[in-house]
Amino acid sequence: MHNSDNSEARIDINILKEIARKDLVDALNSVNGAKTLVLDASLAGPLGLVTEVSLLKHQGVEKMFWLESGPLTSSTTNIVYLCRPRIKHVKTIADKDHIKRHAKESRKYVYTLLLVPRVSTLVSRILEEEGVLGDVTISSYNLQFIPVADDVISLEHENTLRELWVDGDETILFDSAQALLSLQKLYGSFPQIIGKGDFAQRVATLITRQGAKSTTTSRNTILSTFPRIDSLIILDRRVDMITPLLTQLTYEGLVDEVIGVKNSHVELPLSLLQPPTPANANTAASASTSPPSGSAIPVVSVKKDNKKKHHLTTATDPLYAELRDMNFSSIGRKLNRVAHRLDADYKTDLQSKSVPQLRDFVGKLGGLQTEHQALRLHTGISEMIVPYTRTDVFNKSLEIQQNLLASYEVSAQLNAIEDLVAQGAEMQIVLRLLCLASLTAGGVKAKNLESLKREILQVYGYEYLSLLLSLSSPHLSILLPNPLPASHASLPASKYPFTTLRKSLRLLIDDNPEALDEVENDISFVYSGYAPISIRLVQCIAQKGGVISNPADKEKPATETGNADGDLKQSSAGKFQAHPIVGWKGFEDVVAAIPGQTVEITQKVENSVSPAATSLDVVAFSGQTSRDSATTTVVFFLGGCTYTEIAALRWVGRQNKGRNFLIATTGIINGSNIMEGIAGLTTSVKNPSAV
Amino acid sequence: MEHPTSSWQAMQEGNVFYRKQQCYSIPGKLPNLSDYIIAGCKYGGPIALMRDHSKLIALGRTMPAVTKSQIQVYSPAGEGLLLFSWDQGKIIRFGWTIDEKLVVLNEEGTYRLYDLQGDYQQHSLGTEAAELGVIDAKIHENGMVVMTSALTLLEVKGWTGARPLVLANPGLSEPPHSWAAIPPDLNISRHVEVLLSVDTTIYTVDNLENADQRISRGPFAHVSPSPNGKNLALLTAAGLLWVVSTDFQRSMAEFDTSNVVGATGAVLQVEWCGNDAILVTWDSLVVLVGPFGDILQYFYSGPTFAITELDGVRVIGQEVCDFIQKVPASTLSIFRPGSTSPSAILFDAWESFSNKSPKSDESIRSIRPELAKAVDECIDAAGQEWEAHWQRRLLNAAKFGRGFLDFHNPTDFVNMGQTLKVLNAVHYFEVGIPLTYSQYNYASPSHLITRLTSRNLHLLALRISGFLDLKPDPVLKHWACAKILKAKATSGVTGKDAELGGDDEICRMIVEKFEELGGAEVSYAEIAKKAWEVGRGGLATKLLDHEAKGSDQVPLLLTMKEDKLALVKAVDSGDTDLVYHVLLHLHKRLPLGSFFRLLEEGGQTLAPASKLLEVYAREQNREMLRDFYYSDDRRVESAVLSLDEASRTTDQSAKIAAVKTAQKFFSEDKDRSFEAKVVDEQAKLLAIQQQLENEADGKIKFFGLSVNETMRACILNGFSKRADKIKHDFKVSDKRFWYTKMYALVEAKDFEGLENFAKSKRSPIGYEVFVRHLVEKGFPREGIQYIAKCDSSKRADLYVDCGEWRMAAKECKERNDKAKLEQLKQKAPNSLVVREYEQVLSTMK
Repeated sequence: MHNSDNSEARIDINILKEIARKDLVDALNSVNGAKTLVLDASLAGPLGLVTEVSLLKHQGVEKMFWLESGPLTSSTTNIVYLCRPRIKHVKTIADKDHIKRHAKESRKYVYTLLLVPRVSTLVSRILEEEGVLGDVTISSYNLQFIPVADDVISLEHENTLRELWVDGDETILFDSAQALLSLQKLYGSFPQIIGKGDFAQRVATLITRQGAKSTTTSRNTILSTFPRIDSLIILDRRVDMITPLLTQLTYEGLVDEVIGVKNSHVELPLSLLQPPTPANANTAASASTSPPSGSAIPVVSVKKDNKKKHHLTTATDPLYAELRDMNFSSIGRKLNRVAHRLDADYKTDLQSKSVPQLRDFVGKLGGLQTEHQALRLHTGISEMIVPYTRTDVFNKSLEIQQNLLASYEVSAQLNAIEDLVAQGAEMQIVLRLLCLASLTAGGVKAKNLESLKREILQVYGYEYLSLLLSLSSPHLSILLPNPLPASHASLPASKYPFTTLRKSLRLLIDDNPEALDEVENDISFVYSGYAPISIRLVQCIAQKGGVISNPADKEKPATETGNADGDLKQSSAGKFQAHPIVGWKGFEDVVAAIPGQTVEITQKVENSVSPAATSLDVVAFSGQTSRDSATTTVVFFLGGCTYTEIAALRWVGRQNKGRNFLIATTGIINGSNIMEGIAGLTTSVKNPSAV
Repeated sequence: MEHPTSSWQAMQEGNVFYRKQQCYSIPGKLPNLSDYIIAGCKYGGPIALMRDHSKLIALGRTMPAVTKSQIQVYSPAGEGLLLFSWDQGKIIRFGWTIDEKLVVLNEEGTYRLYDLQGDYQQHSLGTEAAELGVIDAKIHENGMVVMTSALTLLEVKGWTGARPLVLANPGLSEPPHSWAAIPPDLNISRHVEVLLSVDTTIYTVDNLENADQRISRGPFAHVSPSPNGKNLALLTAAGLLWVVSTDFQRSMAEFDTSNVVGATGAVLQVEWCGNDAILVTWDSLVVLVGPFGDILQYFYSGPTFAITELDGVRVIGQEVCDFIQKVPASTLSIFRPGSTSPSAILFDAWESFSNKSPKSDESIRSIRPELAKAVDECIDAAGQEWEAHWQRRLLNAAKFGRGFLDFHNPTDFVNMGQTLKVLNAVHYFEVGIPLTYSQYNYASPSHLITRLTSRNLHLLALRISGFLDLKPDPVLKHWACAKILKAKATSGVTGKDAELGGDDEICRMIVEKFEELGGAEVSYAEIAKKAWEVGRGGLATKLLDHEAKGSDQVPLLLTMKEDKLALVKAVDSGDTDLVYHVLLHLHKRLPLGSFFRLLEEGGQTLAPASKLLEVYAREQNREMLRDFYYSDDRRVESAVLSLDEASRTTDQSAKIAAVKTAQKFFSEDKDRSFEAKVVDEQAKLLAIQQQLENEADGKIKFFGLSVNETMRACILNGFSKRADKIKHDFKVSDKRFWYTKMYALVEAKDFEGLENFAKSKRSPIGYEVFVRHLVEKGFPREGIQYIAKCDSSKRADLYVDCGEWRMAAKECKERNDKAKLEQLKQKAPNSLVVREYEQVLSTMK
């Protein structure tokens, strides 16, 4: 791995997994004897990252059911519900199919309700209203950050955007603050909290307020063996709504866009996952060879196959670590190279004659085979993606995106969007483009917007009116008419200063052949020429030079154009020492232009270093220590982040020595699940459950 | 001073010693114990007494005859701590919790937890228990097991008023002869276990099952589990004492109590002395039965009451309070007559040294290798002594021994000195807590502090806290509460103004004291709550202002009916659950109108709260949400709510009605003319769809489709005219209509219709899309005819897509595009085509 030189200094986030596991065991053990577990389906994914079914079996779980309406029969007296405190779930539990039905049939069960992450008054109130509160023991299972990669932890909370900016339900803010406080307890406190956005401000306040209360008692739990955390950066998703609307162009990002990654799992055809036997090697071939005429029917053909969930993780699949953050255009070449190398490995070793040589070869064979299998898997996945990237709609939408980012002929882009609507392209694609147009151009001309909205409603259904209203609601305001109507004008700063940012943050990097190297040498590689604002903002804090010019530029003469092959490898000799964190310094104006509050808080360091250290200027303090050991900067995306942003941040991390990033997020998002999430209510209507 | 061994008595041929230590002499302080039902608190705690009404008593002897039940609490030193009368239903049982609260349970399943000041919290076992009635209970430190009159068992875990759990039904037909409960923390399963003596056997019951242990020696008059829960002492009706492990696998000892000389009447108590001996009591006789059936007899002048401790047993008689225990190993090793252990020699050496005898040096030399162990043993033995005199001597001996050691960690020595100082202070008869060293270690210093504060001994508690480096917070908090209570009592007479002044003064006193003593982290909210409870609202508000943590202020503010402030503080805390707590509480209490007004007047500060209310109401109480939006003139939200209802309902007319309501709401807002218009369109569409369904006799589903889907469904089902009309009515653009119709015709495989449609006029979307779509759907042959109409530069590729290689070649030739032809040749599917292409190429220049 590229970052092997840093990896020993990384914060060990597997502890979080261990804690989550232990808590689950304790929670289940609080109920004596054999039990039936009824699981909230939205928790299955997150739990799958923490534990496995066998562990549950050890805790006396005999059977597991999904939490859904429909009769529940249990062979054990204990029924344990594990769910998020959603009203819907609670009503199901109380309802005629569960507790009330059991009561009617006079079957006696002992009910325990484990709420994630904490107990809720609301739940007990609803149980009370339904008249079953007395039958249920309520307790909690505090599931917080879950490691989803070795440098990414996530709350795996779905629909944060909708909850925060449409419903105004701020529960996730509190939960995030709690989770960050737990991090603080484990790894030491954050000397600085820097952030942007109103909700980021709220979370920062919650952390400092509660942190002040608890530090004195938790002084002993701080383990000094961990590398120090130098700061916490909180970015409110509202600060950069543009990035997630764009089509992600890294490998991992495209897998997410095209196939869909949920809780680090991706659904793949069975044939791809099983080691090839002659029989299904054929079927795989037939499934992936595109029809003679070439262009279309890509994704559809796959759907018929038997599918299986596959955990995308670098732990068992080292090839994935190399591939995930690459721009998709380089994937083919990379796979090709790996294939050649593998082939060579097999061959050279087959030529070896002597017995010890053969023994060595046989020993290596297992490794080669896993690598072989990984190669097969990723080639298969790429084959699934490639046809999609060749479709008309995909290329058209990319083109519109690039033009909008450059503010090139906006009204022509709107017409192009209208054409896409007429063609019946997927609604999420259309809406993403439309919102992008609004954000980049500071609103869409009222007349155009109305006619586009009308088109959308007529094509996809009038029920999406509430979705359109949500998108233009004052809190979200990612789809606005220009000029703003009177009702909006009262809210200042709802307009996003994209054109200013484009210049000040150097967002666009020309995608012409000469500039290609430059693209590869900047975070903009993740969108083939566009640098995500969110990560530029992180650079404003943690790699100030990177905002103004490409840090890799300076070493180009030395490494020649060897970089251009997309391997992203940077020789560590040319790395700069990371500068200490000094807040937004140097970019105050840029940051001030973005709507939302700016956060810059210095927390008292409760470490046992020396009492004088707390009164010291923290800047000097952190500067002095960073020289002898690497520090970790935690970047928390409030409202979720995309795979491309993770890739870009990893790239930033590789440019400097002495600083690692730990990416924390409420969940992994992409444009389509944002739209689905905001539509929320309407999608649930599509498959109405028993009312 | 008497030598320690003077209280020793030997057992097992002099191998084991037990000692009876007199803690307090209490002549005449307690009433006649035999007339009372008694419950004792562990860890040197007090005893509670209640008149036993089943016993006859001579009137006018010590007390007036009261019909009401009264409970008296005495310290082990015989000091009266509390006296209160009981006005509830008949008391079934009372006992002590781990934190020295008296639990009193009545027959209606109500129980109260009294602290030593007479304040109580009341909890109930629930309606079921109340209806059935409670007949008995076993109270242990962290909960209790209750037997109802239906002979079922309920378990209460903890003392926070948690709902009782139903244990497995033992299926009894009459009450057990006797029974006992082993607390959860003493069982391997970590769940409570109940032992019931039924007929000749014992049932063990936990929350899952009821197991018959199949024993034939019963019935048992006493069932008594040991302090560690591992063994049981059972007493049969015939007076046979049988000690057995709790799983009934190993029989430990048997002893016939009927042969004890001097024993008269029934056995009163069977209590454990530590974990290895059993104390059997009769009126004025106490017999200690050792593990091998050896006995020691102790005589008392009157009835006694024994309380098991983890390292011995406390016996309270009319005159004395004694502590009986096995002599600890370290003490035994030093003081046992003729002991030659290093520690004994060290103690001897020190005594010689104090007597200036040269023998001292010789003795020390002889134990040199084991000196460290001897020192440790002396330190430990000091902890086991009751008299300060002997503690001091033993510590001096240890100190003397330490002088001869190069390296010896002084921590134990220092700690022991500190601890003994604390213990001696609380042993003092006015405090009256005869806590032993091992009990103190087990129960923790902070537990001791709680005990002191509950006796209102704040100064001592504070001094001990300081001495042991504990935080003064709990003491200060308790002190403040006590202060408020006291002030209430004195200021009752004075007028209103005086009380207001008093508020300020008390508040200032409390705050000052806290700041002075560093109790900055004391929760003012809890103290304020106390003030509120005793009816001093003004003081409560003042104290609450000093509370830093907003969330702690909320519950009290709610009870004080400071609704708005509570809501503001809750929102400010960021804890949405707390906000819900306040919201739901207020929703229940306030009339709907004022509830809404409160939220509306809150403006931006309370916006998060009203958002949360909306989230809740959308799922649970739509009626309320409608009213809420309506009362606040929120037209758009009302409209969206209607639309949401429209999408939820399956009934067609209800759906149309809901959409129309939404339209009305939108039209009332002048900024929403667009929305009003499209919703109007939606209503129109729904009406058309209804009509279409009628025309199709309900065989085709139209209702709820989008405009595009409706047109598609029309074309698919041969209502082509209707599709045209919809296009017209809904002003569908040509482009979109062409796409829709083209897709639909291909889907219906109506290629003739497609051809006619293509010819009907010049296609606004071009013809390339025709070809591409046909190819995509698997009809490349049908696509060929449209290629000629496409842009000439694309034709070659399109022909190839349709599988027409020859036409592609021809096209290239016509355009004289050699490069394209070469390119296509590379992709050629077979050699035939390649050859043909080469041929064409050769004809081109």
